[in-house]
Amino acid sequence: LCSVSLGVEGMTCGSCVQSIEQRIGLLPGVIHIKVSLELKNATVLFDQSHQSPESLSEAIEDMGFESSLSA
Amino acid sequence: MTQKHGFEVAMTCEGCSGAVTRILNKLGDVTFDIDLANKMVWIESERDVEFLTETLKKCGKEVKYIGTK
Ligand SMILES: [Cu+2]
Ligand SMILES: [Cu+2]
Repeated sequence: LCSVSLGVEGMTCGSCVQSIEQRIGLLPGVIHIKVSLELKNATVLFDQSHQSPESLSEAIEDMGFESSLSA
Repeated sequence: MTQKHGFEVAMTCEGCSGAVTRILNKLGDVTFDIDLANKMVWIESERDVEFLTETLKKCGKEVKYIGTK
């Protein structure tokens, strides 16, 4: 397992945090996700056979938020 | 002629409308209006309703097709 911290821009409240945690949390290979509104990041524990920092960042971008690999 | 499709999207804040804006901008070929207060998104596009619905759902909110205007 691997843990990564990704930058997330564009969230304004707890409901933004929740929708990201819910949707990304359901992806195959995602074991745990914690999103922080204050720190503008997402910390994800994942299985490398299913996800990578790039694929996770892309999934967040796909939801309409801006994501970067350096948090 | 392109039609204007109305979708009810369960947006609750600027974050949601911002996310919907970025998702639709990525399509590149749609013009749209977002009415956050009424949780409505109006889209002018050649693409079909099913595709637009799936695209809107990417933001993680509930999406309901209302009809054309
Ligand atoms: Cu929000
Ligand atoms: Cu929101």
